Amino acid sequence: MIFLIDIENWNWADIYVIAGVGYSVVFLVLVLLILVYKLIPKILNIRIKKRLKKEGKEIDSSSSEQYVAGEVNAAIATALMLYFNEQHDEESNIITIKRVARTYSPWSSKIYGVRNVLSR
Amino acid sequence: MKKFAAIYTILGLLFMLILPTMNLEAQSIAQGDQSGGAFFSGMAKFWENSGFYNFDYRQLLMIAIGLLLIHLAIKFKYEPLLLVPIGTGLIIGNIPLPATEGATIGINDEGSVLYYLYFGVKEGIYPSLIFLGIGAMTDFSSLISNPRLMLLGAAAQIGIFATFIGAVALGFAVNEAGAIAIIGGADGPTAIFASSNLAPHLLGSIAIAAYSYMALVPVIQPPIMRLLVSKKERVIRMKPPRAVSKLEKILFPLIGLLLTAFISPGSLPLLGMLFFGNLLKESGVTNRLAETARTSMVDIVTILLGLTVGASTSAALFLSVSSIKIFLLGAISFAIATAGGVLFAKAMNLFLKKGDKVNPLIGAAGVSAVPASARVVQSEGLRSDPNNHLLMHAMAPNVSGVIGSAVAAGIMLSFFM
Repeated sequence: MIFLIDIENWNWADIYVIAGVGYSVVFLVLVLLILVYKLIPKILNIRIKKRLKKEGKEIDSSSSEQYVAGEVNAAIATALMLYFNEQHDEESNIITIKRVARTYSPWSSKIYGVRNVLSR
Repeated sequence: MKKFAAIYTILGLLFMLILPTMNLEAQSIAQGDQSGGAFFSGMAKFWENSGFYNFDYRQLLMIAIGLLLIHLAIKFKYEPLLLVPIGTGLIIGNIPLPATEGATIGINDEGSVLYYLYFGVKEGIYPSLIFLGIGAMTDFSSLISNPRLMLLGAAAQIGIFATFIGAVALGFAVNEAGAIAIIGGADGPTAIFASSNLAPHLLGSIAIAAYSYMALVPVIQPPIMRLLVSKKERVIRMKPPRAVSKLEKILFPLIGLLLTAFISPGSLPLLGMLFFGNLLKESGVTNRLAETARTSMVDIVTILLGLTVGASTSAALFLSVSSIKIFLLGAISFAIATAGGVLFAKAMNLFLKKGDKVNPLIGAAGVSAVPASARVVQSEGLRSDPNNHLLMHAMAPNVSGVIGSAVAAGIMLSFFM
């Protein structure tokens, strides 16, 4: 294996440099991702605004109103579900008792069972 | 129970019979009895090839460790998907084998089945495939909606670099220290990937330490969180994450891939696969591929990875002073990583407005044990306020911790390879 630093003759300064540089690079990568992801919604908003302007529509520029939080979505969905579950079909309100005729069927007959064990 | 006792009694009797036959064999050969000699030499050979003849007390100890891992997984549900294959692998890898030349049984015997299965670990194939599966199952929307929480994932990587210094101080070679350090990232596949490249002889100890501590996240993290976060801070409520558009979700893996690969090319095998998996999920046109990557494929690779890592951990390599040091460093690095994330969250709050403050508990999720540490944060948050759900917020540092630890592994590789 070939190493960038001499793995036999190192000194503590090398170790601290590796740790310091490594930690800084991890931060750098994630900070760059943060910057990019702070920027992307803004770029997308500009695009949306331009498109809406073309179509002759105006949108409210306050950024907080452009996004609907997950909790709000959940509340709306719950309200809709409760509303639709509460709805019933139109009923006649006439209660009837119908006599159900039980016609004999050999398919469920015990006398045709494979094992006729006497029950006590 | 009676059946077991009967079977073992028969086995015991059989071996009691074999022992005297070995003396009889010597006598019959001396007397020139050819037919008896062949029988007895066959029996002796059978005995010499058996595990009972070749066993070493250290192998029995390793088998006991394997059984302990299986017990922890089944009884206490500690990372069962990993500890059951690793525990079984430990048993398989420590069965005493005869020292016959040309035998192709053990994991180090070229041509054996285990040898070829282990190839995926040695060459870092399985960790990359696991990352593909993780990418295909992870929803990065909490991270995209609140990107500043990525800083917590970066802060928790202090565990890696503190462990690196600690490992060198304990007498490990610098390349070995680089591999051991990744345990501090609480990321099993990354630790395996780094050690297979930097210190293959320590792979077993590092993998078992990493996965054991990952399994112990619910035990290790809460005391540190309670120690560092005041009761007042634990009840801080965070703003709900905003909804993220589909375009943002598609752009995330592409931008992430380009950015991380250009800065730390060493992490490409891991992060390339992670972001590719995520693109399969978010693109919306490759659902079949994403479904396979996050279910069947990741399951198959987990089985092979766990089993072969366990099987590669032989008694001679594992039961050593360096393994004890690795376990010690692992425990300390987990504690440092957790504390690093929590303290950074507290420091962030000093600069944030009242309504924007973060709950410092989520800093603990900066270690990349996904989603175990996010779950620990959620349960700790609920202990202080039963209506404060921190899971979604904790997922942001948790997944950024995965990215951070893979970048750190890439940096270690670029320094030492």
